[in-house]
Amino acid sequence: MTTLSMSTSGPNTVFDRFAKLNWGIITILIALAFIGVLMHFSVSSGAWTDMPLTHGIRFTVLLFMMVFAAIFLDTRFWLAIAYPLYAGALVLLVGVELFGATRMGATRWLDIGPLSLQPSELMKVGIVLALSRYYHQLDPRKTGTVLWVAPPFLMIVAPVALVMHQPDLGTSLMILFAGVCIMFLGGLLWRIIAAGAIVAIGGAVFAYFGLLHEYQRQRVDVFLGITQDPLGAGYHVLQSKIAIGSAGLFGRGWMQGTQSQLDFLPEKHTDFIFTMIVEEFGLLGGALVLFLFGALLAFTMQVAYKARSLFGKLAAGGVAATLACYVFINTAMVIGLVPVVGIPLPMISFGGTAMVTLMAGYAIVLSVDLHRDQHGARGWLW
Amino acid sequence: MKGKKVGSTLPKRDATVIFNRRAALLSFIGAGTLGAIMFRMGQLQATNLISGEYTDAADENRFDTRIIAPPRGVIYDRFGVVLAQTSKDYQVAVVQNDVENMEETVGRVAQILGLDAEWARRAIIRVRGGSRYEPQPLKEGLTWEEFNAINVRLPELQGIVAQSADVRAYPFDVVYAHPIGYVQKPTQRDIDRALEDPAQGQSRAVYLRNPHVRVGKAGLEASLETVLHGEAGWRKVIVNARGVEQGEDVTERREPVRGSGVVLTIDHELQRTAMQSFGDQAGSAVVMDIYTGDVLVMASSPTFDPNLFVNGIAQEPFRVLNEDEKKPLFNKAISGGYPPGSTFKLTVGIAAKQAGVEDDWHVNCPGYFPFGGRNFHCWKRGGHGSINMNRAIKESCDVYFYQAALRAGPERIAAAAREFGFGVAHDVSLPNVQRGLVPDPEWWLANRHERWTAGLTVNYGIGQGSLVVTPLQLAIMAARIANNGLAVTPRLVHEAPGFPGERRAPRLPDISPEHLLAIRQGMFGVANEGGGTATRAGNMLQLKRRPDGVIVDAATAPPGSTPIQMAGKTGTAQARVITAAERARGVIRDIDLPWRLRDHALFVSFAPYDNPRYAGAVVLEHGGHINPALDASPITAMIMRQLLLRDPSNRPAATLAQLEPDSRA
Repeated sequence: MTTLSMSTSGPNTVFDRFAKLNWGIITILIALAFIGVLMHFSVSSGAWTDMPLTHGIRFTVLLFMMVFAAIFLDTRFWLAIAYPLYAGALVLLVGVELFGATRMGATRWLDIGPLSLQPSELMKVGIVLALSRYYHQLDPRKTGTVLWVAPPFLMIVAPVALVMHQPDLGTSLMILFAGVCIMFLGGLLWRIIAAGAIVAIGGAVFAYFGLLHEYQRQRVDVFLGITQDPLGAGYHVLQSKIAIGSAGLFGRGWMQGTQSQLDFLPEKHTDFIFTMIVEEFGLLGGALVLFLFGALLAFTMQVAYKARSLFGKLAAGGVAATLACYVFINTAMVIGLVPVVGIPLPMISFGGTAMVTLMAGYAIVLSVDLHRDQHGARGWLW
Repeated sequence: MKGKKVGSTLPKRDATVIFNRRAALLSFIGAGTLGAIMFRMGQLQATNLISGEYTDAADENRFDTRIIAPPRGVIYDRFGVVLAQTSKDYQVAVVQNDVENMEETVGRVAQILGLDAEWARRAIIRVRGGSRYEPQPLKEGLTWEEFNAINVRLPELQGIVAQSADVRAYPFDVVYAHPIGYVQKPTQRDIDRALEDPAQGQSRAVYLRNPHVRVGKAGLEASLETVLHGEAGWRKVIVNARGVEQGEDVTERREPVRGSGVVLTIDHELQRTAMQSFGDQAGSAVVMDIYTGDVLVMASSPTFDPNLFVNGIAQEPFRVLNEDEKKPLFNKAISGGYPPGSTFKLTVGIAAKQAGVEDDWHVNCPGYFPFGGRNFHCWKRGGHGSINMNRAIKESCDVYFYQAALRAGPERIAAAAREFGFGVAHDVSLPNVQRGLVPDPEWWLANRHERWTAGLTVNYGIGQGSLVVTPLQLAIMAARIANNGLAVTPRLVHEAPGFPGERRAPRLPDISPEHLLAIRQGMFGVANEGGGTATRAGNMLQLKRRPDGVIVDAATAPPGSTPIQMAGKTGTAQARVITAAERARGVIRDIDLPWRLRDHALFVSFAPYDNPRYAGAVVLEHGGHINPALDASPITAMIMRQLLLRDPSNRPAATLAQLEPDSRA
């Protein structure tokens, strides 16, 4: 009972592995990034320089790195780095708390020489791998006992608290969501889930009054209809709804969206890019993007389903949960279903952070898919 | 082993089975979420299909209607000289959103233009009220040199714009300050009033908020606002979220319509002569055609430059103008009220004639008239001896008119005064026309709460007491005497949309031509006969009518030409009370008095005597007859001489059809 081992013959040559990559997932990722390039071209009012080019190049580089990692790193590697990665991310988060660089009112960055690191992003991958490993090695019969629930609980709470304090509500919610999803998939007992839900609701109320910053609370208030201010916190959503509502089935046309092109829509290249897609390509364009994400999630869950090791299943499921968290919160936000939280639309929104995180996640997923027959006994040590 | 012990007490669970079951559950929830998001998007669009609210909101966001200020109508003199027009104005403006440090940037502009920190402070306050994204004028009316100085330094002045705009300009600046007045930027009160008035409403208020719009605030600019301002055009522009224009829907553009031109009755050359003739004296002159009522001159002195008001006058220059004791801002020709003094004797003469006074009625003037226990003095200490009306007008004998007034009675004098146009606010299309005051026993009782006394009648005879007249009314009196009793009324607007053309004046009902003839003969004596009070002025005319009827300078007139003469009446109106004690000591001469206590000097006149066409009145405030060369009568003579040489009433006036052939009539 020691290691993951090759029990059946996996792909052997590099070309074999390359051919057997999950091309469905890769195709969808490319399609999404291409949509991103199209939209950034429109945001730049028809100029290739800067945004669309940066987006495309960044994705291409990450795509190669992802494929390379998927081919050469197998599940054992991910299992091996799970805890060190998590621990390192946690140390860096504490470092942010102590020495972090403050930009735009939030302390999220750690400047190490020329490098600017955002440890909370590292934690998004770290939490998935660490909890996957934890449940991978835990006797399923123990998942229900309080003693064995405590470690993953603490593993989630520590980074969530640190990130929330930065403050970065969006990222902390995502870490929480991914962690809870893995605990759920790992076999947490229903009665603990029920108890947890009650505690979560209490915690949400506590967070609203105790932890949220004024601007965050305002967003929640506006969303819940407690306050109305079309030019304040609600302005973003109002303009977004106007853009989506007036778009029609086919939209106003590429580079023709009035709300987007005339800057009535704020943050159109990042958090509100989905609105811009709908405004310029209509309900059908929005549906296509949602369909692509749905398909990506489905493929990812299929990888989890097919993986023979629990670690692989949980890791793929965790990546899917993270992706879903991005997509659902972002799209629900721009149509006014949830309060405004700064969460981008993966692969499409401009900015490297989310893309790096998710491409890393998909490196794991593709790797798990490629080496899905690897499985091993559970145990504390590998 | 630990694991074995726990494991033995717990039910067996298969992690893979649990995972797959729960993953399916989560996938199901995920699919539901995607469905909900899709549904919500469809719902937003369905709402829009039914109500159009999001399409409307998007249009409201991106379209903005911008007013195009219409060019204001041009004002011409009667021969087409441009007196008020629209011209290019150079301005320095600021786009607030582009400026990092307002104080510093405006301070540098002030430095370039040589303005002080106080100006900069005020400019910033003014600008802060306006749009952050559109240029807001900091300083208008820049000279070309200042404009260039700003232009050269623009690269280092982020957010500063040098621009030109159409602005009202008065090319003859001080000459028409009073009749034409000036325009100014609309005040908040103008905007509020427009909003309250249902006939004007929102669109007018939007128009007034345009930074290039000016409204008439004084003179004809104010009273002819509706004629001059034209119709605003508009542009439907596409704006971005900051209100910065991105494009325009040209199919929705409506060009502005220039305001209609206005031709005045004023003759520019004469007006300029009249304004210059006052020098630094305070006073006013009105000259009019006795048949058409066309006002050829409306001068008021001292004056000011109306161009200063167009872009907003600074506080200090305004204070100086406003507090000047000679009241430069005030149109004395229509708003100045004075006792008419001896010029009123013409009216009293008519009233006396109506009461049966004949030319052979003589009065003895020993220099004073004892009445009611006190002496009423004649201006001539030694007296005029035995005197009739003709001589009494010529030599302006006070004692004669004391007694003539007593024979006529106050009611008859008041009636004659009203027929001559006193006590009436004549409509010359100007604001603030004063009515003056013609007292009679009824008015006295109602307002002074005492019975009229004969002593008041005596004073009435020489135009003193509570009688108040304006220079315009004096000119009308002279005109009605000269035209042999036609009720001519003055007009300042020769041609403008909605204004009637020349009107034929009806006869004055109660004034007989014979009486007027006698008065005119007396007025002839004033300017042309020995002992007349204005013979010096009468001699200044030096004009002759050639046999072909053209009036020329006497020196160049061919043989057979006949002299052209004017007729008039001098007047002196006391601006202070002379006490019995002062009279006993000897009345203080005007030159020894402070300016504001000196007498007003007046002169009414008409010309040519033999075939009258023009009449006028000149009032010198506190003139005191100190400088004989610059007294009211020589000023009149100067104006009359040029007037008769130009003879504007016998030359065709300009018409709008000639001046503005393109305008839609």
